[in-house]
Amino acid sequence: MIVALAVATFSMRLSFLALWAHGNLPSWLTRALAYVPAAAMAAIVAPIVFPAAIGLAESLPSFDLPRLIAAAAAFVIAYFTRSTLLTIVLGMATLWGVQALLGVL
Amino acid sequence: MTTSHPDPASRAAFVDGLRAGVSLMMGVIPFGMVCGAAAAAAGLTLGQGAALSWMVFAGASQLVFAQLYAADAPALVIIATAAIVNLRFLMYSAALAPHLSELTLRKRWLAAYLLTDQAFALTMVRTTRNRAGAASFYMGLASVMWLTWQISSIAGIFLGEVIPPSWSMDFVVALVFIAVLAPMLRDPRALTVMLVAGAGAVLFQIPLKLNLISATLLGVATGLALEKIWKPKR
Repeated sequence: MIVALAVATFSMRLSFLALWAHGNLPSWLTRALAYVPAAAMAAIVAPIVFPAAIGLAESLPSFDLPRLIAAAAAFVIAYFTRSTLLTIVLGMATLWGVQALLGVL
Repeated sequence: MTTSHPDPASRAAFVDGLRAGVSLMMGVIPFGMVCGAAAAAAGLTLGQGAALSWMVFAGASQLVFAQLYAADAPALVIIATAAIVNLRFLMYSAALAPHLSELTLRKRWLAAYLLTDQAFALTMVRTTRNRAGAASFYMGLASVMWLTWQISSIAGIFLGEVIPPSWSMDFVVALVFIAVLAPMLRDPRALTVMLVAGAGAVLFQIPLKLNLISATLLGVATGLALEKIWKPKR
């Protein structure tokens, strides 16, 4: 699996740098690719923030308050500081803090 | 080029690249450690986790790989989902090609292997004010990114093996991506794409963990459709 992903990833990197050095991407594809990072990362983040309920009867996402609060805090921190490190440190501190607080209450 | 007979100008550009790489380290080290830790937490061995970092060498897709591997998704779904995250390299490769054309074919293979978001972005920014030495700058910057990545992800693997599951470390993965996504919130189209893809990933009840791929494609389609409504500002 790792090798297959490595080969796929390397071919994409190599594509225009060596394989078709004089080629170019069609413009619709360039525009589509511009949205891939935002879409893919949001698709990864959302299920971690809203852990899905198991079973069809409760097919709506369940709310995990500490995760929701920590994610919102992280967005604000990241927006203003632009720092990965601060976002991770303060985001985890918020998550653990709210978890501890709700555990006490 | 640079390494065999370095002329002063390209050597200076290479050193500029090294410096730029060092200035990015503080952002890359935590990301690399999270990727290593996620691989270990997903049950990959030290060798497999390290192989992911040096063979794939692309953080976001390494995280997707670890997450889906931990969730017991089928191999094909893991590979396809992680590869989609890396589709952006097609775009980077095409945009960088004219600036790296002075490199020999062998060096271009190396340059391709070292391609990352950071190396791409900073080299493109540099070419807007200084077109000379872009290739040397890129190679310097990309080498620092590579070395930083390997060391921090191996440190992360060791860390991931000792952190207890009760610490909710899976949330760090979300935090890393939030750090990347937050600056995009200013763009209403990117924001809509994120909301659609995020909602899709949570709400789609699809077997085999195909929800990530479908939500990503839906997000991209939404972005393209929105271009028809809100014209790009350029």
